[in-house]
Amino acid sequence: MPDLSSLWLTARLAFVTTLVLLLIGTPLAWWLAQTRSRMKPAIEAIIALPLVLPPTVLGFYLLIAMSPNAPFGGFWLQATGDTLSFSFTGLVIGSVIYSFPFMIQPLQSAFEGPVQQAMRTAASLRASRLDAFFTVAVPMSVRGFVTATVLSFAHTLGEFGVVLMVGGNIPDRTRVASIEIYENVETLNYASAHALSLILLMISFVTLFCVFLFNRRFPAHVRL
Amino acid sequence: MSGSELILSATLRLDSFALDLDERIPLDGVTAVFGPSGSGKTSLLNVVAGFLRPHAGQVAFAEQTWFRATPGIWTPPHQRGVGVVFQDAQLFPHLTVQGNLNYAQKRAPADAPGHAYDDILSAMELNALLNRDVHALSGGERQRVAISRTLLSRPRLLLLDEPLSALDNARKGELLPFLETLKSDFALPTLYVSHDVDEVSRIADRVMVMEDGRVIATGRTDDVLSRFGLEAGRNPYEEASLLTGKVAKPHDQDGLIAVQIGAAEIWLAADLHTAPGTEVRLKIPARDVSIALARPTEISIQNMIPAKVRATEPTKRQAFQSVLLDIEGQTLRATVTRKAVQDLQLASGRSVFALIKSATFHH
Repeated sequence: MPDLSSLWLTARLAFVTTLVLLLIGTPLAWWLAQTRSRMKPAIEAIIALPLVLPPTVLGFYLLIAMSPNAPFGGFWLQATGDTLSFSFTGLVIGSVIYSFPFMIQPLQSAFEGPVQQAMRTAASLRASRLDAFFTVAVPMSVRGFVTATVLSFAHTLGEFGVVLMVGGNIPDRTRVASIEIYENVETLNYASAHALSLILLMISFVTLFCVFLFNRRFPAHVRL
Repeated sequence: MSGSELILSATLRLDSFALDLDERIPLDGVTAVFGPSGSGKTSLLNVVAGFLRPHAGQVAFAEQTWFRATPGIWTPPHQRGVGVVFQDAQLFPHLTVQGNLNYAQKRAPADAPGHAYDDILSAMELNALLNRDVHALSGGERQRVAISRTLLSRPRLLLLDEPLSALDNARKGELLPFLETLKSDFALPTLYVSHDVDEVSRIADRVMVMEDGRVIATGRTDDVLSRFGLEAGRNPYEEASLLTGKVAKPHDQDGLIAVQIGAAEIWLAADLHTAPGTEVRLKIPARDVSIALARPTEISIQNMIPAKVRATEPTKRQAFQSVLLDIEGQTLRATVTRKAVQDLQLASGRSVFALIKSATFHH
């Protein structure tokens, strides 16, 4: 029987990462959808970087930044009394960066075009921007939110390289399911590797299946 | 400063377009903003609504300043009380008809003058539509919902952005009486953007004619329309064809450019230096196309293109007909008299020559 604590850790990591991404991704995607700034292509490129970079490269830089000797890692150690590298928080930071494009891109395309025009319409009906965002933009972008949330969650579930670089392999603390599988294979514990792999495969498939089903069955926006 | 004017003095540069306005518009009745597409009508509306911020100038409604460059004043759109009815209605897709109406109703200031919910709904004949999904409405119904929704927000100024342009002729006819009701029963100061002479002459009290981002004439509707030779039924901006072709040869010494459309060639005067092979669009007014059965000689017109009659269509004026010609698979529209259609027997399939008196590059 495989050790299920790694699965539980993975689920917690994916959940927290997705939540953080929703909170910082929504305003950023909104800004990108409506800005005419010349910085936009540069920022879009930076956000898309994790799609093409080897996770080890990203993990390597993060590990260096989080080290207690680096300004960021040192600051964190002073402020919280704990090191960032090889900690759950470090994993969350790494995962957030690694899954960033999966949150931003669906949201940004949901917020573009018709939603921006609808914001003008709402303004002409005396709705303030914040009011219109929650009463018009969000309900019109439900598909985008669902896609972005599920993709970020699923992508975080499947992470390996960044987590290994940043978190190492500490049971209950940073040993997520993908690393446990690797560990099991290395120690020739194939039965556990099989079991965990199958569970991850099922979870990922069901999650993605739900998104595609939702996008097909559901209208592009919620009915209020 | 008079208290009953919209002061609109604004300069604005967009990518390939400049708006330059200095107008005082009386705040009563309907003022048409009239001109061809690309002349800046919608940009003007966006400046008034607050969707575009001018670089310089001043926008003031009665005693209230909405925008001034220096010292800076800016009133955001939702605080202006400007109701906008967009070309394509822009109903919220996630709400029903009722939901769309309530959205405006809820946000209307209680102390603003306005009309009762029931009066608006019955004037726009919406009671039967309230529970409909907005996707299930016809174009005309959508516009009636949009107009009602705007009225429910109790605006002080109404902007109508070509509210009929997305509708076919039959639906236009259905909606026009509602626009007249809007004017007579609700009596809000209105800017009405249109490029249709019929609409303007039926609805507007005064007209501002726009061209290239400027107002080139203003005045009473009849005066302005007749000054520009725009009697109802003749629409200078709609009856034109757009043909796509390739620049065949650069400028010759006569200052002409040849544009290749299939095997046909159209010559036009242009200052433009365009490389051969560039794809261009030509705009050809239907009134500048004549039809001949044989290639005429000793005539000033340079462009005589072989064509086939595809169909004839009635126009808004009894004496004229629209002839649709096929040129290398593209459609060229010619407006000729009904008598000419009969005399030349311009029926579908007939081979003719299209005589093109003028063509311009269309950007």
